[in-house]
Amino acid sequence: MSEILAIYRKEMKTYFNSPIAFIVISSFLVITNWLFFDYGDYPFFAINIADIRGIFDYGAIVLLFIAPAVSMRLISEEKHQDTLELLVTMPITDMQIIIGKYLSTLVIFAIILAGTLIAPISISFVGDLDSGIVISSYIGFFFLGATYLAMGLAASSFTRNQIIAYIVGIVIIAVFFLMNGMANGSGMIATLFENLSIRFHYQNFFRGVLDTRDLIYFISLIFVSLLVSSTALASRKSK
Amino acid sequence: MIDVQNVSKSYGAVEAVKDVSFTVEQGEILGFLGPNGAGKTTMMKMITCYMPPTGGKITVDGLDVVNDSMGVRKKIGYLPESTPLYEEMGVRDYLNFIADVRKVNGADRTRAMDRVISVTGLAKVIHKDIHELSKGFRQRVGFAQAIIHDPEILVLDEPTTGLDPNQIIEIRNLIRQLGESKTIIFSTHIMQEVQATSDRVLIIDQGKIAAQGTAEELKASIAGQMHLNMVLRHADKSKFIEVVTAMDQLHMEDIKVQKNGDIEAALIIDAGADLREQLFDLAVSNQWKILESSPSSFTLEDVFRKLTN
Repeated sequence: MSEILAIYRKEMKTYFNSPIAFIVISSFLVITNWLFFDYGDYPFFAINIADIRGIFDYGAIVLLFIAPAVSMRLISEEKHQDTLELLVTMPITDMQIIIGKYLSTLVIFAIILAGTLIAPISISFVGDLDSGIVISSYIGFFFLGATYLAMGLAASSFTRNQIIAYIVGIVIIAVFFLMNGMANGSGMIATLFENLSIRFHYQNFFRGVLDTRDLIYFISLIFVSLLVSSTALASRKSK
Repeated sequence: MIDVQNVSKSYGAVEAVKDVSFTVEQGEILGFLGPNGAGKTTMMKMITCYMPPTGGKITVDGLDVVNDSMGVRKKIGYLPESTPLYEEMGVRDYLNFIADVRKVNGADRTRAMDRVISVTGLAKVIHKDIHELSKGFRQRVGFAQAIIHDPEILVLDEPTTGLDPNQIIEIRNLIRQLGESKTIIFSTHIMQEVQATSDRVLIIDQGKIAAQGTAEELKASIAGQMHLNMVLRHADKSKFIEVVTAMDQLHMEDIKVQKNGDIEAALIIDAGADLREQLFDLAVSNQWKILESSPSSFTLEDVFRKLTN
């Protein structure tokens, strides 16, 4: 455990010693809040309904571009600077390295989540928000972000180039996000694609119900992504 | 302390290390000498548990590098080639991070930090960021991380590459100083380096051990041959070559005619041969004037070139 925390602390220092954390957090909040309050056919101020679903709809798309930016450097930079060699020859397992790094991105995301609370808090003063739906939506949004970050980490573990890690991360996330639109109709394949898609499971959270199937879906995606990352680190052994 | 038995390593179809065996005793400084691409780095990556050998067995203090990897890693301090460091971190933050992972905590941490800072002379730059450091200081930070947990064994991959002559001497002194209490393997492609620092040399070429022993033993393995450089006046080149080839224990390495007609020859004398009188008589009978005759023993560099060509 102390090894995981050592990695976690190092990553947090790196995020906050540079402008990365600040840029990532503020761009997400600025873009998402702007889209929510003042953009599109039904901007919040125009429709005058106490509903913050827009935050999570727009947020899911904005995060698709922001999350891989947070995780792209995690392994690829270690590879690029050759520091990975030193790291994996210390008494720490590959999985501990991955979890420590992943943990740091979750904390960055938690700060982003805290930043989005401005909308529900301010709206609750002027209208009636369904707190059940708000809470379940936030849980859904947390799992969405956690999944994006894990996928971004997996993309980062295959390359020494951060740009490649970023683009590949976006592509992987987009494929999973949009998978439900890939097959039409009601056949078995369509159902399968729908059940594999992030958007399908994500939308369920907005009904104010927590379904274990949705939770298991996100947790499995996270688990597989971390496993893939750790396997990618271990691939040095079979070269 | 380190026991390498019949170890091989292939990268796909390329065999980087072929059936290599050697041991390193406790407290010994072993120099790995070889041209670039000889397999030195691969060998070190296997000892430090970066990757397993494809064949054979490596044990470190009795622990197998594959089956008891974590135990081995705790005993080793490693400085990989070209000293990878986190550029954006501060020197102290970086050393604290390594101590964190290595579980050097509490009062031990304070003592360890003081010790490595003083041994590696980092006090002046301890508050700087790593990307601000000169190559020499970066190298010292690399050393500091390798010894922060006071390991029994140090593995140093080309620790002096890219340093200026003063820094090289500093690093060599540091290796010798650390070698008083630790077992050290370090690699280099510079001959003088092994001569200056190591107890024993292992020459590795094309993935195989070409020779091993102390620097003196290796020089002796060339069986006491000597170089002889001669400059002769009033000598004829073809005649000189003819005479030298006719002699038993003398071999021609190189011959040049200087601008003024003098002949400059590089010769090799077999071990134990004393040709001084013969050469004198030869010169007299041919009416050559010996302007210069300087013998010199073979250097480790000659051994290296001979073995790795």
